[in-house]
Amino acid sequence: MKVEYINPFIQSVCDLFDTMLSSKATRCGVGLANGGLNTRDIVAIIGLSGEARGMVALSFPTQTALAMVGRMLGTELHIVDETVYDGLAELVNMVAGSSKAKFASFVSTPIELSLPTVIRGSDFSVNHPSKATWLDVPFTSDLGTFNLRVTFELNRVKGVTV
Amino acid sequence: MKALVVDDSAVMRKVLIGALARANITDVAQAADGKEAVEAVMNDEFGLVLMDWNMPNMLGIDAVREIRAKGKTVPIIMVTTEAEKTRVIDALKAGANNYIIKPFEPATIVTKIQDVLSKVSGQ
Repeated sequence: MKVEYINPFIQSVCDLFDTMLSSKATRCGVGLANGGLNTRDIVAIIGLSGEARGMVALSFPTQTALAMVGRMLGTELHIVDETVYDGLAELVNMVAGSSKAKFASFVSTPIELSLPTVIRGSDFSVNHPSKATWLDVPFTSDLGTFNLRVTFELNRVKGVTV
Repeated sequence: MKALVVDDSAVMRKVLIGALARANITDVAQAADGKEAVEAVMNDEFGLVLMDWNMPNMLGIDAVREIRAKGKTVPIIMVTTEAEKTRVIDALKAGANNYIIKPFEPATIVTKIQDVLSKVSGQ
């Protein structure tokens, strides 16, 4: 994964906070995601396919997850339930959808999104095509800390297979 | 006026129902995919439909095509993460009246709803 590919995803997270969450998210760096996805309490994942392949994950401590979905709904949430899972799925869906549009000039047809998945707990692993590199971007916000993790490769660039 | 909110996310449906309330639309039905949306439109009279794109069973864009093919002229606003220009064009060609890209600011969606309704009432 080229490092510059992470920028549209970071921008999409910031846009999400600016609009639907009426908040600000601040990036705390970018690094390789060693150790997989299971570093937080809850992970929301969505796949990208078509002329690109990849996955986008948002991983949250429980309190951040509750705060973010609660802010979307304009209420306070105290337990992780179906509503929270649903809200986290929608959040990662919006980040991935907004990001893929920023690659529109590199592909001849829009990149496709899978339906999102939410996983709670840390006893799992995610396997992806060999040599896939995950980048990890920690964020802080007034709703709590969270991580953006992305693996992304363009299969074709302007009609040329790379 | 009754509105139909179509999204596979229950949380997003609640967000959109809140936005409709800001536009003084409080009579709202819900559907969780395109197939349910088509059935709802065929069985009830709606003044507005807010339609997601990516949903299980039937995509929102296919639901728009089917609703138009069945002769229904209800105003439809796509509300979706699909932000590419080609997607917007496809939706408008399919018969959508307007297009809102997620994520959105609540004020934006209220303005678009009012805009679409005023255009329809002026026809």
